[in-house]
Amino acid sequence: MTSSRRDFLARSAQLGVLLGAGIPILQACGSDSGSSGPVADPIADGLEPEKGPLRVFNYDSYVNPDVVAAFEAQYGVKVEITTFTTDTEAVTKLASKAIEVDVHHSMAATSIDRLIAGGIVQPLNKSYIPNFENAFDALKDPWYDKGSAHSVPYNFFGTGIGYRADRIDPAQVEEQGWDTLWNATDFKGQVSVLDDEREALVMAMMRKGIFDVNTTDQAIIDQALADLSELIDRVSVKVNIEAYKNIPEGATTVAHTWSPDLINAYAAYLPEGTDPAVLGFWHPPAGEYLVTNDSMGVVAGCKNPVLAHLYINFLLDNEIAEQNFSWVGYLPALSKFDADYVIGAGYVPENLRACVPTTEEIEKGLYLKPIGADGDAKYTAAWSTFTSGA
Amino acid sequence: MSVFRRKHGSARWLALITWLYVIWSLAPVLVAVRISFNSGKSRSSLQSPSFRWYWGDPTSSVWHDESLHTALFNTLELAALTMLIATPLGVAMAIGLHRWRSRVSTGANGLMLVPIVTPEIVFGVALFLVFTELYSGVPSGMPRQLIGHITFTMSFVVVIVRGRLVAIGDQYEEAARDLGATRLQAIRLVLLPLLAPAIFASVMVVFATSVDDFVISSFLTTGASTDTVPIKIYSGARGSSTPALNALATVMLCFTLLAVALAALAMRRMSKRGGDAEGMAGGLAGLSG
Amino acid sequence: MTAALVTTGPRRRTRFWASFAVPGVGWLIAFFVVSVYAVMAVAFGTVDPVLRTAVPAWNPLQWDFAAMSDVLDRVFGGDLGTVFVRTFRFVALSLAGCILVGYPVAYYVARKAGPRRGLLLVLLVLPFWISYLMRMLAWTNLLQLDGIVNDVLQFLHLQDEPHNWLDGNWYTVVFGLTYGYLPFFILPLYSTLERIDGRLIEAGRDLGASSMQTFFRITLPLSVPGLMAASVITILPMFGDYYTNTYLTSGSPKTEMVGNQIENYLLGTSQPQTGASLVLVLMAFLFVLMAYYLYTTLRQQRMAER
Repeated sequence: MTSSRRDFLARSAQLGVLLGAGIPILQACGSDSGSSGPVADPIADGLEPEKGPLRVFNYDSYVNPDVVAAFEAQYGVKVEITTFTTDTEAVTKLASKAIEVDVHHSMAATSIDRLIAGGIVQPLNKSYIPNFENAFDALKDPWYDKGSAHSVPYNFFGTGIGYRADRIDPAQVEEQGWDTLWNATDFKGQVSVLDDEREALVMAMMRKGIFDVNTTDQAIIDQALADLSELIDRVSVKVNIEAYKNIPEGATTVAHTWSPDLINAYAAYLPEGTDPAVLGFWHPPAGEYLVTNDSMGVVAGCKNPVLAHLYINFLLDNEIAEQNFSWVGYLPALSKFDADYVIGAGYVPENLRACVPTTEEIEKGLYLKPIGADGDAKYTAAWSTFTSGA
Repeated sequence: MSVFRRKHGSARWLALITWLYVIWSLAPVLVAVRISFNSGKSRSSLQSPSFRWYWGDPTSSVWHDESLHTALFNTLELAALTMLIATPLGVAMAIGLHRWRSRVSTGANGLMLVPIVTPEIVFGVALFLVFTELYSGVPSGMPRQLIGHITFTMSFVVVIVRGRLVAIGDQYEEAARDLGATRLQAIRLVLLPLLAPAIFASVMVVFATSVDDFVISSFLTTGASTDTVPIKIYSGARGSSTPALNALATVMLCFTLLAVALAALAMRRMSKRGGDAEGMAGGLAGLSG
Repeated sequence: MTAALVTTGPRRRTRFWASFAVPGVGWLIAFFVVSVYAVMAVAFGTVDPVLRTAVPAWNPLQWDFAAMSDVLDRVFGGDLGTVFVRTFRFVALSLAGCILVGYPVAYYVARKAGPRRGLLLVLLVLPFWISYLMRMLAWTNLLQLDGIVNDVLQFLHLQDEPHNWLDGNWYTVVFGLTYGYLPFFILPLYSTLERIDGRLIEAGRDLGASSMQTFFRITLPLSVPGLMAASVITILPMFGDYYTNTYLTSGSPKTEMVGNQIENYLLGTSQPQTGASLVLVLMAFLFVLMAYYLYTTLRQQRMAER
């Protein structure tokens, strides 16, 4: 026994030596990733578009393929879409220069400031983007990018509760608000919160009447964690971003989710023969309503900057945006698309009117803003504890 | 002689368990295939049947969406190359480590096992870092993905083949040597045929792992032109992907079934030549003659 | 045999066998060992102040152990400890499931299937050819409230009301893991069982042992190496799995595994050091299991030599 243990120790030691063998080579190498500072100048006016192919960086299925095909046809170029699954992944890949792309199609509002400061995106030359004037006035000079120098809004949406109106009375959701999630004890295992640390924790704060959604107060975060954790045993809560299919298909009854998910649910996931009236969406009143938007930008040092500008301009075209909306379900951030228009055109049923943020809701909207590495770390720690189910 | 033995009840139970298992293992495959015929976008519930995702949809169907073609070819190419490189490397390493006794080999034995305990996501991140920071000379895209897949799957081959080497023991090979075969001959004529089932199993595991991997491939992809099918499947996050992927998987299933049929045929040939006990005895006899 | 030894010499023999192992070992050092070192460099490194991406510390003298000590605190007695224990439980139960189902299947196909063996082999590997995630999505369809599984169970009167399988239950995850990894378990075991010399079993029978006795005294011991290999191949990747539970319970905190935490830290937060530290802790833990495997294979090898 003793000898075998010694054998084992010796073997482990040898493995240690083997593992260590790489060290000297590695020591010689410095690190070259990291930020290089913001890019100063946009491209010059009046340049000819490049020959492409234009490489677009986006979430999967976050743009209508027909729209992409139309762009290809109009400019005689090919478009290649590279996908990412989380915003962190997108930033990491861009920062390491591991991927080569021209357009960042979906920048989160919370990371645009870092993408600018880190020199990942370049300033836009608006002379290529005349359609910018179609954009929502409230988003023409957004808080995350003064004067929209580096970004244009792609879409906008808010966070609320998606639910099955055939199982829960809409009046009850209206009355209880966020408490609906905690009170859904009859629907164990059919309740979900967004798989997003800040969205979920802030939701728990808003339930308690705290609307400083960018707080980094540890006590408030701890309380939000305690409240969220209560959902685990109370309603067997799930953590995901799939309400767009789980609600129409019936697996989920109440979900903390984004407004477009219900539009998507209506447009593509309702089983045949199911009345769209089973879908419901609630959100807090203007001033307490958390809204956000994804934005498009041009990647610094890319090969097709002119084409990238033209692509962005293309997506801001009213008709193209409408075609895109009909497929993606996320409302374009253009002033044309108010609730009356999208309901009148049949994209959204009347019972989901609340899924379309009004101008007032956007102007008074609460935004999750960058809270620094330390602030994020607090949320991350709380989130990790919540999802661990400990 | 054994033919006349009364068929035991236990064999019937085993048969029942096996066929129940087969049904269990295939039910979801059938459902996944059925979903590919959905007329709507759902990837988890059944909708009325159509060929929309095969060719009906003018942009997103398998037939029309070029990015799916690229992904399919990338996946198959990557898996085939991984198989061709990782299997010989792994088999040779298993044979070498099985016989080679020294301090270094003990260390190598341990080292070989570490990749298996390493979760894919670690591989993905680690390789991503190494290629961006250190081995930036390796062309990005497919070559990096290939290296990642080989590194990830090679140890599976070693473990499977070594399991079999231990079971076989050294006696057959020694017999061959006694009969005058050189070491290489003994390996080629005796050991490799004996290892055939393990090699077959390894090839399956390597191919399947590579075809299914999305973590490593996606960390090392450079964009749309090096995306694989699993990347397409797993990347549906905010928006949502469509049953076109199920349709694509169904097409792949048909392709691979064909390949498996061919492989099985080849395997049968091989085992006829010397895979089973009698065949092996014949091989030894041939050597001595 | 002795003659051969004298003419070639042990050193040349060593070199001969070493030459087989060298390409593979070299490959692993170049791409695996160095990669693991990169994980360490990240775990003990810093993050870029602006972009929050990992800045690996390649030089061990500059290592910062803050993230690691935080992770260790949480693993030993904190929330992450719960996740580790849960993961271990899921994997152990799934392995039990794999053995219970996989051994009889491998045994039957290898030794009793007769002419159907080829067909069965193809059927066994068939699930490999459809993406793992797609099969899991298909299971969510089969297991839903009005799904086929509930229909069948009710038809058989095994339950009166539909059961909510996707409610975030541990058994659904164990079921999914067992299902997902069984093909990986069966194949190596099959290759060992198929290899067992039928004459040994015949001999046992001829000497008057019952079929049970022959199985437990001859077949089972002879299949232990294959069983070990199969177990290692299945359970170790299970420890890093984070998609099976995610898909089968739509992300219930009750079924969170270590892999989910790693994934979240590496892909969803700006704390890659924490994720990388967690990876190292998991690897250290698995290394113990692996060392046991290594120890037993080496011992068996030595016994085989005698």
